[in-house]
Amino acid sequence: MVRVGSSPGSPGATSPVVWALPALATAVAAAVAVAAVSAPARTPVAWVGAVAFAAVALACAVAARRSRAVAVLRAAVAAQEAALARQQTETVRLAQELLPDVVERLRKGEFPEEVLASLEEPGTHGPGLTPEFRAAHQAVLRSVLEAVVAEEDLRDSAQRAFVNIARRVQAIVHQQAQELRDMEDRHGRSPDVFGDLLRLDHGTALIGRLADSIAVLGGARPGRQWSKAVPLYSVLRGAMSRIIDYQRVELHSVSQVAVVGPAVEPLIHALAELLDNATRYSPPQTKVHLTAVDVNSGIAVEIEDGGVSMSEEARRRAERMLRQAQEGIDLADLGETPRLGLAVVGRLSQAYDFQVSLRASAYGGVRAVLVIPQALITASSAASGVAHGIGTASGPRAALPAAGAEAPPAAVEAAPAAVEARPAAGEHAAASDDAPAAVRPPAAARPATGPRHPEDDDVPLVTERTATGLPQRRRRTRAAAPDETAAAAPAAPAAPAAAAAAPEPEPGMWLAAFQGGLTGDTSSKTVPSRRAAASPNTDASPNTASKGEQP
Amino acid sequence: MSNPGRDWEDGTPERLYVITGGRSGPVSPVPLDLVTLIIAKTGPRPGMQPEHAAIMRMCRSPLSVAEISAYLALPVSVVTVLLGDLITAGHVLSRPPVAPAKLPDLALIEAVIDGLRKL
Repeated sequence: MVRVGSSPGSPGATSPVVWALPALATAVAAAVAVAAVSAPARTPVAWVGAVAFAAVALACAVAARRSRAVAVLRAAVAAQEAALARQQTETVRLAQELLPDVVERLRKGEFPEEVLASLEEPGTHGPGLTPEFRAAHQAVLRSVLEAVVAEEDLRDSAQRAFVNIARRVQAIVHQQAQELRDMEDRHGRSPDVFGDLLRLDHGTALIGRLADSIAVLGGARPGRQWSKAVPLYSVLRGAMSRIIDYQRVELHSVSQVAVVGPAVEPLIHALAELLDNATRYSPPQTKVHLTAVDVNSGIAVEIEDGGVSMSEEARRRAERMLRQAQEGIDLADLGETPRLGLAVVGRLSQAYDFQVSLRASAYGGVRAVLVIPQALITASSAASGVAHGIGTASGPRAALPAAGAEAPPAAVEAAPAAVEARPAAGEHAAASDDAPAAVRPPAAARPATGPRHPEDDDVPLVTERTATGLPQRRRRTRAAAPDETAAAAPAAPAAPAAAAAAPEPEPGMWLAAFQGGLTGDTSSKTVPSRRAAASPNTDASPNTASKGEQP
Repeated sequence: MSNPGRDWEDGTPERLYVITGGRSGPVSPVPLDLVTLIIAKTGPRPGMQPEHAAIMRMCRSPLSVAEISAYLALPVSVVTVLLGDLITAGHVLSRPPVAPAKLPDLALIEAVIDGLRKL
């Protein structure tokens, strides 16, 4: 009754007292009428009054009950409206806050169970909600989570499949590149075959780059790993070797530094993609300039092309693509004609802290700058993977240092190929080619005792035994120096001594010394002609001395 | 990929065609064969390709093409191309080997060898 009276919006208080009033009024009116009419009419009037009272009382009672029911219903409706409003806010919150938050957390790598548990904690829901409603919300969240997780798993497995395939292609390409290199060594003398091999090699490198790109986009490392630092010059040429138009790339001054092993392959790949972009989007007759200079934060590699300049809008789009790629890229987002290049560069630069920027070039084209951070740079001398065993840093007097410091990497590199490549070299080579082949193993053995210096090696004529058991004398290295006139003094004995010295890795030097000894003249003008005259002689000597058994 | 990186470890990222600029054939103005002797006129110059610089250093005393090839561990064709560049630029001189007619007497050589063995 109190609720009825206090129910909001009800038009007037309808207490039972109010509903009793009409009945009372009817009763009073009936009583008055009974009293007022004459005696004979009293009885019928009383009856009529009684009936009227009863009817009015009944009607009032019904009305009162109905009004109570209406009030109750109204209250119920109001309560339900309030509940509905709460549920609506909660549903909106679910759609606008909870779900995006949950998906975001899943993307960041949280486990679905953790996310769900955190959602079931009290306080994540608004007050005044029924347990059923909460349960339903949780169910919605859970099924969304499951869908997201399932999709992520699917994508992961798709990416793994991509990477797996790319790895297999890479393995084949690596193997083939290696074999091609062996073939290039083997057929190095016939330019036609060699040219074909070079073209095959180039094509293989292009396939390798594609496989590397797929691996990178699948979230893996590109290709092979390098354990040693590689000189920047080799890295840049490695990048050049992986693009189609490498002949258009002009390699300018390069800082004398090396790149630490783990960063070599990513750097090569990123630079190759940038070079590919540069050559692809510039006219075929123009050059692409490649330089590397020191900057405060590391080494800046600049790639400038003379192509069409990028509009500001295109530049922004390209940089946006780079940024997007740094945040992670979906293989499915690449579209039908995938432009892998910048995506790959973005991925790699994010993983290895390269800074990449694209600007308009002074040549009119695009200037791409990739800054290698200082942490990935090491001193050039620490690099052992010198380009093809050529000591770029060795001094001007290369002859003796070359024997000690440069031959070992070359020998190591040649070692696997030695079985087939060296005989191949020997069979087509004249006698002069036999000499390096013969001295190569000792050259490889040298570094154990360090590079040989002329002054260290003054011990005279140590008798040794060769592998064939023949006694052998070690030549004085002093005789190797062409500019030392002392070597010229005992002309005839010096020459056989030199000839007997198999472990000397610098035949050119002892030939020159021999010549110097013969002529007593070490000037570069006279030595070659005299030396040439006697070269078959000296070439024959080591053959008989060091390989005595050979016919 | 069963043994990733192992067999490539001592290699180099550069391929041979980059070193030669894609050329494989003889570009030299003079014919070069394995026993042609190469003499550098000067030392290496700054800004040279490392292979060129290495040849220049190596050839301060005369070296045959085959020897250069062996020391650089590069195929003869590559060395020929590189030498062609250097000869064209005038940095090195090439000297063909002498004709067999100018060879010293074989008997003399044998006598020297015999003498050596008796030592």
